[in-house]
Amino acid sequence: MANKRNAAIVAALITAAVAAILVWRPTVLINGLQSAGLYASIAIPMGLILGIVHIVNLAHGEFLMVAAYATYMLCAATGMDPFLAMAPVAAVTAAFGFVIYKLTIRQALKSPELNQLILTFGIAISLTQVANLLFTSQTRKLSFDYVSASVDIGDLSFGVYKFVYIGIALLMIAGLKLFLTRTTTGKAALAVGQNPKGAAIVGIDVDKTYGLVFALASALVGMMGAVFITSSSIFPAVGSPFTMKSFCLIAMAGIGNIPGILGASVLLGVSENFLKAFRGTRGWADIVFFVLIITVILGRSIKGKKA
Amino acid sequence: MKLKTSYIAAAVIAAVAVASPAFLGAYPLNVARSVMTYMALAISWDMLLRSGQISFGIAGLFGLGSYASALAVLRGGMDPFLSIVFAAAFAGVMAFALGFAILRLRAMYFSITTLALMEIFRIVMHNLDDFSGGPEGVVLPEVIFGGNSSALYWLCLGGLLITIGASWFFEKSKMHLALTAIRNDETSARSSGVDIFKYLLIAFVVTSTMQGMMGAIQVQSYGFTTPETAFDGNFTLLPLAMALLGGVHSTIGPMAGAVLLGIASEWLKLQIPYGHLIVYGVIIILVILFMPQGLVGMARRMIRAGREAGAGK
Repeated sequence: MANKRNAAIVAALITAAVAAILVWRPTVLINGLQSAGLYASIAIPMGLILGIVHIVNLAHGEFLMVAAYATYMLCAATGMDPFLAMAPVAAVTAAFGFVIYKLTIRQALKSPELNQLILTFGIAISLTQVANLLFTSQTRKLSFDYVSASVDIGDLSFGVYKFVYIGIALLMIAGLKLFLTRTTTGKAALAVGQNPKGAAIVGIDVDKTYGLVFALASALVGMMGAVFITSSSIFPAVGSPFTMKSFCLIAMAGIGNIPGILGASVLLGVSENFLKAFRGTRGWADIVFFVLIITVILGRSIKGKKA
Repeated sequence: MKLKTSYIAAAVIAAVAVASPAFLGAYPLNVARSVMTYMALAISWDMLLRSGQISFGIAGLFGLGSYASALAVLRGGMDPFLSIVFAAAFAGVMAFALGFAILRLRAMYFSITTLALMEIFRIVMHNLDDFSGGPEGVVLPEVIFGGNSSALYWLCLGGLLITIGASWFFEKSKMHLALTAIRNDETSARSSGVDIFKYLLIAFVVTSTMQGMMGAIQVQSYGFTTPETAFDGNFTLLPLAMALLGGVHSTIGPMAGAVLLGIASEWLKLQIPYGHLIVYGVIIILVILFMPQGLVGMARRMIRAGREAGAGK
């Protein structure tokens, strides 16, 4: 009962805050939602790996970077639209993720968690540096007309293109939900995520499932990488901030809670853009996320102590 | 008998290290300083790792030390040498305060939080324009000891020796038993009466002090710093790779790793200006996969195998 009332109070407060921001600075909400879509759609594949394989892949952002460069090469060479390139790039990154899993991560599944963390850290560094070697640190950008599409409502004019990220995030959530609850492979993956030993006893091939989940998550990141280059310029270190952000969002939502990632992203996106809206605090926008991550982690640890 | 040989070897190496400005030129001394800085950071990272806590925030405390020292000289008019002591103490106090919160965390949550703290320090320094100089950073009126390369070398060596001494003390005292017990099994350590939080806090404060001190020495030796150089991710990455390659949970391992990788990276920097850091990434991967004990661990195993083979004859 008390819980329900608390939840109602929180919901009312959030609605009031959103309404206040909407009236006062509508762009905060619009930009916030747009960045939330981007954050969520990048974080969801990492959440999938963390939820099922139980590995924090610190090279997640680098997978995005690899996909972005692959798309860039493909589109620059053939003049293809990045949205069309999604399918081939996803196939390439799926294979790439699978190979990385087989060669490295699979060997470290049994070792202590910290070794896995350092291992994926090493993979991240290696991928960034390979990109550095191949492409140097010069930024690259492809421009497309449709990216600058905008809408005017009264005095307010804003870009609508980036809402595509929210759409992708929602599609990912729905697709994964269907996959994990309706298909045999998905159900098996869910079972492995809950209890690998139990899953192995009832005859699920755990190793194959891990490989598959890794490939699937890499394919999703690959698709995001393809879309990513439409709105951002790319350079070798472009992915690394997203690793931390994704991890933070997953930790906020709770491991295994994929729809919750979108909620956490909205909170992060809106608060960042709230600070960006003022001249005095613009430089501090980056700090929101790091403060948020520490608050969330500490909050969870204190809550865990009490329970 | 064996103990005596290793003491003599250590004394000889120390004597050579102290005397080297007499026969080395300015460039090798500069390389030596950077190797020693990374070595001290690698050892300090390893000291905390002995308790099973892996920090990704070395650069954070290093940068904090740099700024504390530079700002103490610039804004407080402190003596440069004194400012190094001040910066080390400042990093230690910060670690003490932060430790109460973050040392409750374990495994990846601790690691990620240290990384996030480092970013927070960097953003704060980036944005406090009036106080810290903002993105442009700070320039000191003069380099410590008038930039005399021998003096700078000895200063850095002094910092390194303090770190080695602390690490050696950690290895030989009760700290070693406590930290190893926490690493192996926290529950059984607690039930045997080890005050886990106390030992973690000591280790965290001591290692942070070392990292802050090295940061202060760095900034006083170069005379300037910016948020991006003080909180450079390389100050986390390189020491980590060095300690892993050499062999963790020891003093000698990170030292060996730092000498090898430090000199190799100087050479590689000239060969491959873009992307020479790939060597570090690949080394981390290979060591974790194939050689979790590092070079020192491998050497120990080979010596033991050799001795057993000898005894068998």
